[in-house]
Amino acid sequence: MTNPARDYWRSLEELADSPDFAAVVEREVPRFRDVLDKFDRRQFLTLMAASMALAGLSGCGPEPNPQQRLPYVEAPPGVVPGRQRYYATAHTRDGYAEGVLLAHEMARPIKVEGNPDHPASLGAAGAITQASILSLYNPRRAQTVVGPGQISSWEGFVAALYRRREQLLKKRGEGLRLLTGTITSPSLGAQIAALQTAFPAMRWHQWEPLHRDNELAADQMAYGRPVARVFDLAAADVIFAVDSDLISAAPGWLAYARQFAARRRPDETGGKMSRVYAIESTPTLIGAKADHRLPMRPVEVAASVRFLAGAVGAGPSQWTEIQSPHRDWLKEAAADLTANKGHALVHAGREQSIEIHLLVELINAALGAHGNTVRLIEPPVVSPTLHLQSLSELVGDMQAGKVDTLLILDTNPAYSAPADIPFAAALKRVPFSVSLSLFADESALLATWQVPAKHEYEAWGDARAFDGTATIQQPQVRPLYGGHAPSEVLAVLQGNTQPDDLTLVRQFWQRQQGAGSAAEGNPQSLAGDAGGGQTGPQSSGSSQPALAAAEAFEAFWHEALRRGVVANTAAPPLTLTPKAGLAEGLRPLPLGGEAAIDLLFRPDEGLWDGRHAENPWLLELARTFTRLTWDNAALIAPATAKKHGVKTGDVVAIATRYGATKAPVFVLPGQAPDTATLWLGWGRQAGALAEGVGFDAYRLRGAAEPWLARATRFEKTGETYRLATTQGHDRVAGRDLIREFTLDRFNNDPEYVKQKSKDVSLYPGYIYPDRAWAMAIDLNSCIGCQACTIACQAENNVPTVGKDMVHFGRIMHWLRIDRYYSGSPDDPDVAFEPMPCMHCENAPCEVVCPVHATVHDHEGLNLMVYNRCVGTRFCSNNCPYKVRRFNFYDFAAATERPPESWNPDVSVRGRGVMEKCTYCIQRIKVKEIEAERDGRKLRDGEVVTACQQSCPTQAIVFGDRNDSHSHVARRKATPLDYVLLDDLNTRPRTSYAAIVHNPNPAIGKEQS
Amino acid sequence: MSLPGELPADEPIVAPAVTMSSLSFEVSSRVLRPGAPRWWWIGFGFSFALFILLVIQLAWLFIFGIGVWGVNIPVAWGFAISEYVWWIALASGGTIISALFHITRQPWRAATNRIAETMLLSAIPCAGLMPIMHLGRQGLFYWLFPYSSVMGVWPQVRSPLWWDFICLFCYILMSIMYYYTGLLSDLATVRDLARSRFKQIFYGVLALGWRGSSREWRNHKIVYAIMSAIMAPMVISVHSVVGLDFAGGLTTGWHDTQFPPYFFFGAVISGTAVIVMLTIIVRWGYRLQDVITQYHLNAMAKVVLVGSLLLAYAYLWEAFGSIYSSDIAEYTEYMHRMFGFTAAGFWAEKALVVIIPQLLWLPAVRRNQTMLFLISGGIIVGMWIERYVFTTASLEHNYMPSYWGLFYPTFWDWAALAGTIGLFLTMFFVLIRLVPIVSMAEVRDIIEKKKRGEA
Repeated sequence: MTNPARDYWRSLEELADSPDFAAVVEREVPRFRDVLDKFDRRQFLTLMAASMALAGLSGCGPEPNPQQRLPYVEAPPGVVPGRQRYYATAHTRDGYAEGVLLAHEMARPIKVEGNPDHPASLGAAGAITQASILSLYNPRRAQTVVGPGQISSWEGFVAALYRRREQLLKKRGEGLRLLTGTITSPSLGAQIAALQTAFPAMRWHQWEPLHRDNELAADQMAYGRPVARVFDLAAADVIFAVDSDLISAAPGWLAYARQFAARRRPDETGGKMSRVYAIESTPTLIGAKADHRLPMRPVEVAASVRFLAGAVGAGPSQWTEIQSPHRDWLKEAAADLTANKGHALVHAGREQSIEIHLLVELINAALGAHGNTVRLIEPPVVSPTLHLQSLSELVGDMQAGKVDTLLILDTNPAYSAPADIPFAAALKRVPFSVSLSLFADESALLATWQVPAKHEYEAWGDARAFDGTATIQQPQVRPLYGGHAPSEVLAVLQGNTQPDDLTLVRQFWQRQQGAGSAAEGNPQSLAGDAGGGQTGPQSSGSSQPALAAAEAFEAFWHEALRRGVVANTAAPPLTLTPKAGLAEGLRPLPLGGEAAIDLLFRPDEGLWDGRHAENPWLLELARTFTRLTWDNAALIAPATAKKHGVKTGDVVAIATRYGATKAPVFVLPGQAPDTATLWLGWGRQAGALAEGVGFDAYRLRGAAEPWLARATRFEKTGETYRLATTQGHDRVAGRDLIREFTLDRFNNDPEYVKQKSKDVSLYPGYIYPDRAWAMAIDLNSCIGCQACTIACQAENNVPTVGKDMVHFGRIMHWLRIDRYYSGSPDDPDVAFEPMPCMHCENAPCEVVCPVHATVHDHEGLNLMVYNRCVGTRFCSNNCPYKVRRFNFYDFAAATERPPESWNPDVSVRGRGVMEKCTYCIQRIKVKEIEAERDGRKLRDGEVVTACQQSCPTQAIVFGDRNDSHSHVARRKATPLDYVLLDDLNTRPRTSYAAIVHNPNPAIGKEQS
Repeated sequence: MSLPGELPADEPIVAPAVTMSSLSFEVSSRVLRPGAPRWWWIGFGFSFALFILLVIQLAWLFIFGIGVWGVNIPVAWGFAISEYVWWIALASGGTIISALFHITRQPWRAATNRIAETMLLSAIPCAGLMPIMHLGRQGLFYWLFPYSSVMGVWPQVRSPLWWDFICLFCYILMSIMYYYTGLLSDLATVRDLARSRFKQIFYGVLALGWRGSSREWRNHKIVYAIMSAIMAPMVISVHSVVGLDFAGGLTTGWHDTQFPPYFFFGAVISGTAVIVMLTIIVRWGYRLQDVITQYHLNAMAKVVLVGSLLLAYAYLWEAFGSIYSSDIAEYTEYMHRMFGFTAAGFWAEKALVVIIPQLLWLPAVRRNQTMLFLISGGIIVGMWIERYVFTTASLEHNYMPSYWGLFYPTFWDWAALAGTIGLFLTMFFVLIRLVPIVSMAEVRDIIEKKKRGEA
């Protein structure tokens, strides 16, 4: 960073940093935001000089688009203000595609929805996916190509890389390295393969901090080849989860969560439910939903999995001879699994060891899961690689000076590399390095060339889902801040100086279609089919068949883009059996047990591996179990906290063999004793919204122990740190907020289950002759993933407020998920309860407003009239459910967000007014108008609220209660249905379905 | 039975040496003297400094918004509302002394009612300012007026806040008129005794041409009696409606039918206590020991004691209701109030308002002005804590455990409190400088009656 030109820019940026001003200039003249500000004489002269310099540089930035966009003079048909249009594309997580539809209003994308046609989405979208729209618009994105020591331009970069290419071609690619994350993109895979042909000595490395190396290594042992798994939870009667991310993070989790929940609604499945066992060291979503859960240390987890393997016949039977307080529990679980052969499923999370993955594979084989509940497929990933090995080889070569050209595409190893792999230091030895990234992140700042990337919603590309289904990603908007796609950078290396992502992707699929129709279409050969990177438009063959082929391709292309999936690209199942004798060959378990603290590294729910650290929605998303915002913490069990004499907010010094850091402690019920969970992704140094927020757990993570490290030091420092959580109290405190029953009770005693309503009144109720909007939330289905919270935030223009305001109790989320514990703090039962507005019929908020700012409408909606609100806040005091939010400051105006990214259908609230969930009234009105225009009644399911739409488990149902056939009326008719705080006689429109557990009677009382 | 140190039954209300003319001269001279005494300047200077703090606080609040205070969700009402109740209780105390005791014909009221009313008049703007400052959009407070707007929207008459607004509005208007009516003849006295032309005109205009004819006196008496008859129930209703602000809410700890009288009891004790304090100051400062005698302080101390007992009764019922009821939310809220975050305030308030005032049973304490002053001060602080604990603790532990929260006041919360105290004292000091601080007309009445051997 001693480079003068770069410092020069930095000082300019500091000159103009008022956010309002920056926003205006950003919009009007994006490249000159640094020029205008306060004008005293000295500054004026400085700025004049700067202007001169900038004038000289104006040719170097992103080019004004040759195809100038102009506002409509006459609007094209179909673009109607207030009417949304949807375009399909995909969002990737760890490289795996989740199909999405982007809602566009007046040709700008404003909201991400799941694509119902996409197997990894089925219409749902997780919190991170929902929040991606904010990243797209993020004004802090990298916008300038920076070359060695100076601001440069894309052309400058292309010229430099092209020159480099000439030299590399002579050396056959010696010294050329690619570094990417996990890639499922068939076209990118083909491009890399083509490069490999052109530069035979080139090497491709992969680094994804949340890699799945252990799974891959286990598969190599079991099958001698990489495989991927697709689970069928609909067929699974018994699920055994080992620290599992099956319904929280695994590729395909949205689909799995859907199947999982569908098997756990006894009122819809005729009184049947799946049964879930979980053993885990740190709370997971599936653990929270499990009928039986045991928290245990990692070493005990390993022993338990061995026990299970021994008990189901997948391993030596002496493994069942263990001394463990959980032995009986495990025995019963194993018996249950064995009794359900063919309908049982065991799943281990990515963080588990190779051995556990291998054993789980063997157990699944022994339980006949393969072909029934587990489908083995060809991995959708291009060239599955052991990422740790790949990165350490790269860094070794960099240090040895063997690397002279390094292309870092969309990965940030300078931040996320293990502490004992000195990537950042080694990068300085690479004479020509390129970082293509969305933000000027740690790696970009160290690379000789920083190239801003296109956001996924700005670029053409393709990606595969967990089951192999390919999606062609189409841009939703012209690049807002310039930027380029990875395929374009690679194309330069292939000799194309004017690359264009559309052409690259299109040509790839054209070749595929050509090859496919020729070879009766085996889409799975896509990745392997390298193709010639440089082949131009097809020119062979006679014109007649070529024309037909072109037409067929147009139809294919159009259909693939329209649906968001390429038809018939799901991978066919593989029939493989694990090699024999693997279990017996395993080394005996190391004897653990001494009182050291095991550090568990886990992805952060919002920031993931750190790449979303720029996204305020995700920073402010209260984490499922801790309800923590704007920080990570060392999560420890209550017993561990006692042992070390710490409490939530105390700062501890943590060290491993690889590094040391300080972290605040958070006491988390249900955490295994003597473990501390550390979320990765925090403590960013560059490229994040709040740099240095939280602590960086990567500094403790070594290559040999990527998920589980033994702490060499875990000591109280005496410092304290203020953590901002959103939940006041963890237990229901005697209120009837969470109703829970066993399946047995549900099936045999419906009278007991039914809520005894005290709904009596001397006054006649209001009549709702037309419609009566209502919502039903199934707590049994709610897995606590919080997709709904972010969906609501995106839909309803809910502002973020920042850590201090969260701490003050001023978070604005209209829909929150309450998390209640019951039972012992060491191993509590967890219940999630989404809390939107209840839309009470006897709404306590309405009667106390002195100015009629909150009123009831004829369809039973409890309306909030922002313009009328004077801000007495009596309504909030009077709301027993505490769902009202107040604009204590002008939060919306303070939000760093371009105006065009707000949802134009929803008012942005100003300072001093109350707001709350509206049941997405804007969506209701759109559909009502449509129905009225067509002269018909609204159909059930036509109006979908944002939370409902995003929910992976379909826990939320909304509709007309008056229509007895509507989904919501049917949900409300079950005996499980209940309303909160019934004795207050508020008569809420939002009701809940009680939680039903399906415990194993043989374990009975032991259930925690 | 006569306790040792008890004032004898024939203790004079007005010192025997005071004659009608000496009274007029003594009282008017405090107003007409050029310049002001040193203690006045010190007091006024201090008060005005605090008042400036209020102005700064208001500017800060209006520029940045209600977020500068510590209010949050769930504790959406904080200092502003508890202080509103506190101020209105102090003000009500003034009305109780002047109006309620007027219609019950308490002779001792005559010398203190002007202090009480001056206090009332000074407290009312503080009380009125609080709920307006408290609004999210302060500029739109007038939307609570039932005026015919182009939008055709009227206030929501079911809201206790609206009742409160109307009550407060009427009460403010009534209080000003009542004060002025009582003041009229005294202003005329000052006018007549004034030497300088300016003062003659100033008080002459204010006296509205009062000439002291018997017809004027008769009309005045009738009007004043009618106004007292209106004011006395009004003050009870005003404070009851303030109680309904809370009782009408569906909030743990608030939803309690005893609140209207409970709040009124609070008004009796805190209002009287503040008058005791001010009386002691004014009596000492203006050397009015002959007009405001031990009798007055003794009587007011007894009122304070009664108020304390009434409140103790209300507290007991509050505790009983919360603990005995089967409502778990009420119970947990009350436990939180007693033993949780607000425990220190809860017990301090009980000690200051209920336990320590029991000392007033002792005549010696009632005679000891220092003790009386300290006890009264304690009561006022205690009542402030009571309102604060009561307002915030209920919201802190509401029905929804997931949304339990705590209230931490910020600097600006304290600035609002200090600033309104500044406003109150500034107004009080200005008024005692400009208007006769003892109702000469009424004291003359007492002297006259005594002469005739009636009293």
